[in-house]
Amino acid sequence: MSVIVLEDAIKRYQTGGEVIEALASVNFRADRGEMVTIIGPSGSGKSTLLNMIGLLDTPTAGRVRLNGRDVTDFSTDELTEERRSDIGFVFQDYHLLPMLTATENVELPTMWDTEVDRRDRAVELLNRVGLSDRLTHKPPQLSGGQRQRVAIARALVNEPDVLLADEPTGNLDQDTGATILDELTRLKESENIAIVAVTHDEQLVEYSDRIVELVDGSINT
Amino acid sequence: MSRRHPLRRFPSALMAWRNLGRNRVRTALATLGILIGVVAIASLGMATAAIQQQATANLEGLSNEVTVSAGPDNPNDGISAEQVDDIERLAGDATVVPERSNVTTLSARNGAETRVRVTALTKADTMYNISRGRISNRFRSGALLSQADARRLGIEIGDPVTYDGKLYRIQGILSSSQGLGGQRRVLVLPLSAMSDQNYYDSVTVLAEPGQSVEALTADIESSFNTADEDIIRVRNFASVQQNVGSFLGTLRLGLLGIGSISLVVASVAILNVMLMSTVERRGEIGVLRAVGITRGEVLRMILTEAVFLGVIGGVLGVVVSAGIGVVLFEFLVGSPLNAFRWQSVQYLLYGMVFAVAASSISGLYPAWKAANERPVEALRD
Repeated sequence: MSVIVLEDAIKRYQTGGEVIEALASVNFRADRGEMVTIIGPSGSGKSTLLNMIGLLDTPTAGRVRLNGRDVTDFSTDELTEERRSDIGFVFQDYHLLPMLTATENVELPTMWDTEVDRRDRAVELLNRVGLSDRLTHKPPQLSGGQRQRVAIARALVNEPDVLLADEPTGNLDQDTGATILDELTRLKESENIAIVAVTHDEQLVEYSDRIVELVDGSINT
Repeated sequence: MSRRHPLRRFPSALMAWRNLGRNRVRTALATLGILIGVVAIASLGMATAAIQQQATANLEGLSNEVTVSAGPDNPNDGISAEQVDDIERLAGDATVVPERSNVTTLSARNGAETRVRVTALTKADTMYNISRGRISNRFRSGALLSQADARRLGIEIGDPVTYDGKLYRIQGILSSSQGLGGQRRVLVLPLSAMSDQNYYDSVTVLAEPGQSVEALTADIESSFNTADEDIIRVRNFASVQQNVGSFLGTLRLGLLGIGSISLVVASVAILNVMLMSTVERRGEIGVLRAVGITRGEVLRMILTEAVFLGVIGGVLGVVVSAGIGVVLFEFLVGSPLNAFRWQSVQYLLYGMVFAVAASSISGLYPAWKAANERPVEALRD
């Protein structure tokens, strides 16, 4: 069963008097254990699509299913709960909080769940991404690659079903990018999760199981 | 294994604390604003409490006094001996002190001169406190002089003064504080010094504890005066006390109002600081929302930051105000520890409550704004 499914998803924006169609009837799915990469020129609707897969945005028309459940009409707070329990995010700019240690950054998504302590899992994840000696470092003390690995650990702390990566290698050099992609490939299998990435990076495309190309809001098949 | 932060069980508090630590200067300035507001409220409040205590202490000496003098319809030029007898009968246990008064010029050996009020009475000990010397309880001879005049004329105990051609030796120097209505400059002589006067200029009735000054005033007044004839004039200081009390109440409200304005200014500063810091952290808050932190949790986090500013500023303000209060009470009342009586210490509490309330209210809008930002938009830039 697919983790995340978009059925005939349409997204329209009202800009001034004009209606812009960012996504035109897109069908998309991602399964456990696969890495799907969305490519396309800028303005093709990649970010809109990723936001919709990540339940950060809702379609104007069409359905969104997460683990078989229709979440299209969920309220803002219900969608937040879904993201917290089932989705992990990795951003191009890492988006770590500078005043928190690496471990605290990893714990962040679950920080408000005071009854479950994710400290052990956070430490274990940091070990797994090779940062066992950086647990109490703060982001400004870490290199770009290290920061992105903290971000990956953060995306996994809630044991998600799908991990979304927006240009995960965009700010990294070739070698560091390759390490990060190796990491993601390993985690995809060990955690049995779906990874959906958006990129311009050729290197990332090589690591993908499947490529989805967006052109003008439609999937090019 | 890394050590767990003590605030870990309170994630909003932990995050708020860390966020405040990021821009220490801004945090310090916002805190300073609150501190000043609290100090303004608390120290102005404590100042009025000190003034109130001082005024109450001064008026206490007068609160048992009823003063009787001749009214406009009195056939005589004062209170007659028979009238004094009547007053004594009405007064019951109260001490009745008739006195005659005049004005004279005292001159010292060095040629210095000063005009003073002269009052002649018996029972001087019930009316005056002395700082030096003594008052004989019959007070048939000798004289008492106010401190200011004694100093000016260089008069010491045992020195003679002349009134109406007769010599009196100074027995005692009056203490400088005789209450608000006390005679500041007066020469007190035995009643015999003015035996040429037939009438008394005034009669002071000193009520015993438990005796109602108001009732005494009314009794005396009704037994002499009729609806259209004011034979005597009867005054007590209860109404003065009331007036002073209500004046101080107004003063306190006015001062607290001024103090509150500074706290309002401080809370606008907090509003500004919180708005700035949430705008700066827009992307970060977007990330929080994206990774599953709810709107309520973001709201609580930012509100907690504002409350922390209020609490820190409030606590520091209370500490500073307590210090100011001690100094105020030392100077105005003379007993610094009175600053910690409820009458004045309550203003520390008000200052604290105001600080926390004002900062929470100021934090509300920025917190609400940040929490309701759509993560998609916050993450875009």
